[in-house]
Amino acid sequence: MALDFDLHLFKTMFKEELRLHKSFVGGVGSAFFPVVIFFFSLVLAITSPVVMKNLSKDTMLLVLHVSALMYGLSVGALGAIGEQVMTRRLGQVNMLLQLPQLHPISFRKIMATFYVKDLLFYILYSIIPLVGGIAIAAPLAKVPFTSVGLLGITLFLTFLLGMSLSFVLSALAVRSRPAAAAVGLLVLALVLMVWPVGYLTAGQILPPLGYWMYKDPLYLLVTLVLALVLSAAAILFTKERFESKQGVYKSMLLPMEKRFSFAGGLRLLVAKEWVELRRSGTMGAVVTGFLGPLFAVYILAWFFRTGMGLPISFNVVFYGGMVGFLGVMTYSWITNLEPNEFMNVQPVTVDQVIKAKLVIYFLLTSAVSYAYVIVIGFINGELGLLPLALLVAASTTVYVAGVTARLTGLWTNTMLFDYRILGKFFGAIVPPLFFVMVLSSYIKTAPALSMTLLVVESLGMLAVSWFVFKSVTTRWKKEHFAFATLTSGSGAQG
Amino acid sequence: MAVIRVSHIGKRFGKLKALDDVEFKVDKGEFFGLFGPNGAGKTTLTRILTGQLTQDSGEGETMGVPFNDGLGIKRKVGIVPEAETPPTFLTAQEFLELVCRLRELKNITKRVDRWLEFFEIEEKRDVLCRDLSRGQRQKIMLASAFIHEPELLLLDEPFINLDPIYQRKVREFLAQHVKKGRTIFMCSHILEVAEKLCTRMAIIKKGKIVALGSLDEIRSTKDERLEDIFMRLVGSGD
Repeated sequence: MALDFDLHLFKTMFKEELRLHKSFVGGVGSAFFPVVIFFFSLVLAITSPVVMKNLSKDTMLLVLHVSALMYGLSVGALGAIGEQVMTRRLGQVNMLLQLPQLHPISFRKIMATFYVKDLLFYILYSIIPLVGGIAIAAPLAKVPFTSVGLLGITLFLTFLLGMSLSFVLSALAVRSRPAAAAVGLLVLALVLMVWPVGYLTAGQILPPLGYWMYKDPLYLLVTLVLALVLSAAAILFTKERFESKQGVYKSMLLPMEKRFSFAGGLRLLVAKEWVELRRSGTMGAVVTGFLGPLFAVYILAWFFRTGMGLPISFNVVFYGGMVGFLGVMTYSWITNLEPNEFMNVQPVTVDQVIKAKLVIYFLLTSAVSYAYVIVIGFINGELGLLPLALLVAASTTVYVAGVTARLTGLWTNTMLFDYRILGKFFGAIVPPLFFVMVLSSYIKTAPALSMTLLVVESLGMLAVSWFVFKSVTTRWKKEHFAFATLTSGSGAQG
Repeated sequence: MAVIRVSHIGKRFGKLKALDDVEFKVDKGEFFGLFGPNGAGKTTLTRILTGQLTQDSGEGETMGVPFNDGLGIKRKVGIVPEAETPPTFLTAQEFLELVCRLRELKNITKRVDRWLEFFEIEEKRDVLCRDLSRGQRQKIMLASAFIHEPELLLLDEPFINLDPIYQRKVREFLAQHVKKGRTIFMCSHILEVAEKLCTRMAIIKKGKIVALGSLDEIRSTKDERLEDIFMRLVGSGD
């Protein structure tokens, strides 16, 4: 049976995960990531009584548990990885996940071990440091340690629930997309029953939160059982054999190059990125991955305002700022498309490919961003603020994309695990975002001053972006396409 | 005239000394072979020669371009890397078209057709590189290095995954290439092929060149074969 557990395989996989992580961000970077999370949560916990004095304990618990659920959902889609691993090559990276191709071990067993390994990795790397930070700040915030311990348990269970739900949905999707969609719709229906219908409470569909609402330990037990059932179902749904279909396409690279002639010297690489984006099936994920958070921000604000009666009112300028800052994930998706190692032997540099990806990024996000801001302007009845909101959206989009490309190049997903890069990223991104948020909140009370400052900040960001984009060339021109592999020193020998 | 000049090159990966004071040159028109056991430093050296990796010490140039100008070197040479990794989501034809456009070549259709025909994979032209067999991917990588008919070819295990028919075909093409006055630098473990092709060679062991010259120059006896030389110089494995 696939569900028996091999401790040796688990230990080896865990070592592999640590080494893979280390190879991407270095030993110090790897060790410091949880430290950064710890201090981040410590600072948030210490300042939370002041910053969130208008929020009730229930709201804070809701936000924390929904965040943990989303985090679990975002890392648990292992079913999709399985298909990729078994039918494609992963550049120069070979992993233990590929063992079933040649060795007498079932793919279900490998995936089950991988799942447990991932769970432990995320607990050690993010959940424990996060709760640790809150624990240290607990006396200052006058919160008893037992509550912090219980919060740790409920956050972990919520994360586990999210991860197992994501795992089962992705494993099911490989077998039957309609079945996975049906389960997804069921989950959505449950959420709608909470709000706006009001037939269920949030605690009834998110049991760890239910524990806090009803103080009944049964909710914790239910979560654990539910997560185990979902995980077991995911492993049972995992396919053992993957038939890879042969992809056949008429050549479209050169016609696309003509279509992208506006990109000048980058047109060929932009065409290549576009073709790959379409063929890999990532286009939908990229656009949805951008629209999803935008939609979530609006829903969250509406929820605070309407659903919970909190006096939080974001205007269209605030949303304009959020548009730019949420683009990081989209850029990350685009950089994950292809390892590009074949480019090492062609006359092309890393910075050229980064710029081509930026062109794709702006093509994909611009129309969506501006449409989003305009629609919110209409809904909020703030048409007068639209020009300013669009300026803020444009400047933050350009600025954030530039900073992300400069700091992380073609490896956004992995480089942001490096505490030095993460620190620089936050240092460059958070202050401007903070000012946009603060200034936009003063538009009602001090319109002239706040709007003038927002214009100045936007123009400032555009000016800085010009230098940032120029520095992309100097930073990345000399790097190799196997940057992550080569900097670790592996794979270069022979 | 030297097309490759390597002077006192050293490279470390952490504590491991991958290359140690490597020095040699390759003249125009030579078929130069670099041989050594696994992990001896062949791929590291090839990557430095092609500007894919930066050396820690020493200097040198390929086609008159210093090693630190990778872009300049790649414009002038054709490279077959150790791993056959053409782009996942482009078709075989599109990959070759991409290479032609990156190198600003004319007659793209003619060139692409010629190499798809040479390797007899015309019927695979519309198949994604991801879905080609390893041998077909290797053919595409070879075609992408040959397509601009460069003065210098740097080949890391070019015969890997090729069946005997195509090993022979590629061998004949390479011999013709050198006859036209062009140069080849090749790493390979297939010593009997290398013995027939190479005019000069180097044997590398633990990052150090332990033999350099023509086959006659590095033979200890008149009848000694390349495989025997290889076993004599590196065979002990330590």
